[in-house]
Amino acid sequence: MNAIRFRLNGARLEEGLIPPSTTVLDYIRDHLHLTGTKEGCAEGDCGACTVAILKPGSTRWEAVNSCIMLVPQLDGCAIRTVEGVSGRGPLHPVQKALAEGDGTQCGFCTPGFVMSLFAVHQNGEPTDTETIHDVLAGNLCRCTGYRPIVDACKAATAQSWVEIGDSAVEKGRTNYRRDGHYFIAPSDLPALIAALAENPGARLVGGATDLGLLAGHERQVLPALISTAHVAEMKAVEDTPHQIVIGGAATFADALPLLDEHFPAFGELVHRIGSRQIRSLGTFSGNLGTASPVGDTLPCLIALGAEVELASQAGSRTMKVEDFILGYRKTDLKPGEVIAQIRIPKLRDTESFAAYKISKRYDQDISIVLAAFRVTLGDRRPTDVVAAFGGMADRAKRARMLETELVEKGWTALDDAEDLLAADFTPLSDHRGSEKYRRIVAANLVRRMHLEVTASGVPLRLEVL
Amino acid sequence: MKFDTPATTNPIDQLKVIGKPTDRIDGPLKTTGTAPYAYERHDVVQNQAYGYMVGSAIAKGRIASIDVKAAKAAPGVLAIVTADNAGKLAKGSFNTAKLLGGPDIEHYHQAIAVVVAETFEQARTAANLVRIDYVPTKGVFELAAAKDSAKAPEANAFSGPPDTAAGDFAGAFAAAPVQLDAVYTTPDHAHVMMEPHASIAAWNGDKLTIWTSNQMIAWGVGDVAKTLGIPVENVRLDSPFIGGGFGGKLFVRSDALLAALGARAAGRPVKVALPRPLMINNTTHRPATIQRIRIGAARDGKITAIGHETWSGDLPGGGAELAANQTRLLYAGANRMTATRLAVLDLPEGNAMRAPGEAPGMMALEIAMDEMAEKLGLDPIEFRALNDTQVDPEHPERPFSQRQLVECMRIGAERFGWSKRNPKPGSVREGRWFVGTGVAAAFRNNLLTKSAARVRLDGRGTVTVETDMTDIGTGTYTIIGQTAAEMMGVPLEKVVVRLGDSSFPVSAGSGGQWGANNSTAGVYAACVKLREAVAQKLGFNSEEAVFADASVRAGNRSVPLAEAARDKEIIAEDAIEYGDLDKKYQQSTFGAHFVEVGVDVATAEVRLRRMLAVCAAGRILNPKSARSQVIGAMTMGAGAALMEELAVDKRLGFFVNHDLAGYEVPVHADIPHQDVIFLEETDPISSPMKAKGVGELGICGVGAAVANAIYNATGVRVRDYPITLDKLLTELPQTG
Repeated sequence: MNAIRFRLNGARLEEGLIPPSTTVLDYIRDHLHLTGTKEGCAEGDCGACTVAILKPGSTRWEAVNSCIMLVPQLDGCAIRTVEGVSGRGPLHPVQKALAEGDGTQCGFCTPGFVMSLFAVHQNGEPTDTETIHDVLAGNLCRCTGYRPIVDACKAATAQSWVEIGDSAVEKGRTNYRRDGHYFIAPSDLPALIAALAENPGARLVGGATDLGLLAGHERQVLPALISTAHVAEMKAVEDTPHQIVIGGAATFADALPLLDEHFPAFGELVHRIGSRQIRSLGTFSGNLGTASPVGDTLPCLIALGAEVELASQAGSRTMKVEDFILGYRKTDLKPGEVIAQIRIPKLRDTESFAAYKISKRYDQDISIVLAAFRVTLGDRRPTDVVAAFGGMADRAKRARMLETELVEKGWTALDDAEDLLAADFTPLSDHRGSEKYRRIVAANLVRRMHLEVTASGVPLRLEVL
Repeated sequence: MKFDTPATTNPIDQLKVIGKPTDRIDGPLKTTGTAPYAYERHDVVQNQAYGYMVGSAIAKGRIASIDVKAAKAAPGVLAIVTADNAGKLAKGSFNTAKLLGGPDIEHYHQAIAVVVAETFEQARTAANLVRIDYVPTKGVFELAAAKDSAKAPEANAFSGPPDTAAGDFAGAFAAAPVQLDAVYTTPDHAHVMMEPHASIAAWNGDKLTIWTSNQMIAWGVGDVAKTLGIPVENVRLDSPFIGGGFGGKLFVRSDALLAALGARAAGRPVKVALPRPLMINNTTHRPATIQRIRIGAARDGKITAIGHETWSGDLPGGGAELAANQTRLLYAGANRMTATRLAVLDLPEGNAMRAPGEAPGMMALEIAMDEMAEKLGLDPIEFRALNDTQVDPEHPERPFSQRQLVECMRIGAERFGWSKRNPKPGSVREGRWFVGTGVAAAFRNNLLTKSAARVRLDGRGTVTVETDMTDIGTGTYTIIGQTAAEMMGVPLEKVVVRLGDSSFPVSAGSGGQWGANNSTAGVYAACVKLREAVAQKLGFNSEEAVFADASVRAGNRSVPLAEAARDKEIIAEDAIEYGDLDKKYQQSTFGAHFVEVGVDVATAEVRLRRMLAVCAAGRILNPKSARSQVIGAMTMGAGAALMEELAVDKRLGFFVNHDLAGYEVPVHADIPHQDVIFLEETDPISSPMKAKGVGELGICGVGAAVANAIYNATGVRVRDYPITLDKLLTELPQTG
């Protein structure tokens, strides 16, 4: 039967009437009249729409933005909205803590906070300050000043867990069609490639954290979608002897543990790419495939010499990420092709990796400049440097002249960093940062990289206080 | 109740309920998602259809033609309303541009049509089919360019005169041995409250009900009636929960009008929400300012001349941002002037946002004071203390009712460890960080407005308060409940508070930080009447009756309060009305903001490390909700200091960053621990509650404290907000 099956606040539900590009938020608010979940921005920025899900086969609650998630993505999941946290019974510990700690004022953002905290609480995660900041990064509040909410979060964990006896329904892989619109969810790579070949007009969707903005924010109808989310071969993240392999359907959250382990600076950046809500659904390959000039993974992947494997009916081909990016939001992905995996070589002992994101606010912000470096150190001088920047050109791009000079002249080339960068970059001025700022800060980040990989050995990061 | 002599001891002074850090009584409703906000009130009326707004794609000009044929034929469409078929519409008293434009267009994203359909998706799809041909005309979008054409605006109830003067400013400034003459700028700011504007409208014959999200119910009723040309008695507004306002919901906006027009045309209830991307250009914002401040002082630090000029822009017929007004009152100095000028700009409508006037005004003035202190070689706190005044400097016969500015500064200094500060800029370095601290005064006037309430006592001893006062997150439900509980001698659980319905008595509403003091004073007045009625019913002399422990007693006799209403509910209604105490006394609130920042030596990233506010604002009715108000305001002030800015497209005349991704407000990780200290203060001049406002005081001066801390950290003086990385980086001291 052509219906999506999921569990909503404990009850099994089937849905076969909704247009496939309906957002989960519109569905639960307007169709089910579960109005506790709010729309604040419709683009995954404010978190007022946060709900918690168990993905098929998972027992770990994840917060997601319902405003950019499409209803067919719910297939096989268990979902809890704020109505399903305590029902008519006593308040859940996080609800109680927020209410008693004055963690709510106008209250419009509050259900979203409740759901972010609910997920953490149910998972039994620790709630040290760093974790709390990570948990709440995707929830904006314009009233409270935030710290009462942080305090409430700490208070809530001291209270006992609540049994929420959900489990995900089954494997979600329904090919959902309604009124000529469709959302196809293949379960293996051959099926995905076949679906792409059969539906040349369809758009690929991973977690919909970018595409979903068209449905939520732009209010567009997306009639033809092919999901990568359930493609078995593409979901894995693997730690092999020489490389990290990130499947084309792996989310940021899936990839984070290995990134944190092998490339801590990359891991930290991925934490700031987006909130937990975004990282729960957003995919690595989506960020790469979008090829935004300020796509935060791109300079890192370029600097690390990552490769991308593309699959289609013609077979598969592999290329360097830097060759894959052709221009402003333009890649070498051909019709019928999909990013099957991304492979990141591990660092050798002589190699260091550093990455820096500069933005106006700490979380949930578009980078002004993003710099990533892989440096091979010889005897007190770099013998190989790959330096890639975002926010400095129409695409993520290497600073070839700088790289060459650093290898040829050693660290003395740092004195000319600004001029060397000017050979490869002519950044724009916009309201995020001026051309001059971008030039100077990019050069300063090169110097910071030098300090970090040579002298101190201490990562120079922007810490949360 | 007329309030024309200072308050003496009254039942509020018992402080059994008032003054306690009570949890907000609406907290559980909010954490369970059951508090109903405007757009989701499916239950209030059946058969709701959806309206979708079409916004103008030009900033100025006119519509040559508008073709709705395709839209009308689209599935599910019930009605389309444009200026062509809306009937005669007037403009609300509180609106500058029309809420439904056309054929003339006054600003970008001005509403020009509403498409009503069975479902939201159908309305939105059909709205995209409306074809509009525009004839754009050239507009003026840049304040700096329009500044020289600015004129003195007309005075209104809130503004004071555009030009003020005392003594001989020009002469004294010219003669001053130490002078500052500097220009500061603040950008356009967006309220971006979390809940977008939304309304549901339904007609019953010629009676109109609008379930909406609005701070000022009576203003809203008046403007809906005026716009539609119907009697005010035929309009009801209901707004029990409001997802933030900050001034953005002081006035009826297009969502309410479009819902009403759509409902009339479709013959059934219609709901309209402004999509976030349309909200910023469709609604109001805090206008940008250019401010010139001149201060002259003797070498001993006494100010001899202080002048503050401010320029802002608005649509024709609009108002000025009153950024110079606090300078009339904050510091001493015999020779003084202010000037307020208004240019015509064709940007979206400028209007009030949290602490209008003082918020941007204090951002400038308090940098100027920091600069001047440095020129004089004085500690910035000492400089302010030296120029403190206990009277209105323009009218020395008018004292402040209470003024503890210097106490706020001194106590804050002690708590913050100010004495450890190195006054030499750029001299403290911790690893990669330049570290600095800054201080600024906080100041916001206390405004008095008539406010009414109705109080009912039933046979179970429950006290119900009804007033059209709103709770925009401020904690109104709770402090009104506390007031009634204190007055009637019942626990808070025995009080029911009903707000935001225009069928209730007219209150002060929420705005200008006047809500708490005035609305609770109105409840006080009604409770005084209820006490009299109860006493009379139970045979007590109302002068002697003590209301406590849910009983009324005098001498040896005690009767349960509920007894008075055993047969019949007792209802009392009254208003607080003010005499001329605000003329005889200057009523203001004061504070001091302390901020510590770290500035990254290589990137100029700014991290706030500590924030402290000390406030003296009359009696604090509920320290918990008051603290929340202040730290929330500090956060908004930090946003204004570091990131908030509507970017103007100077060619096409609109705000480019019109969503929450583009208009950055602080996130969790940007905001450090914040402390708030309230000084002991009761102000018997303000009202029987002896309270004043705090919600806006908290934002006034924060930006300057951040700017001054950045200066102390780096030696870079930025006078152009927000203090973004690129304004700092090129000026930072060279480091190794």
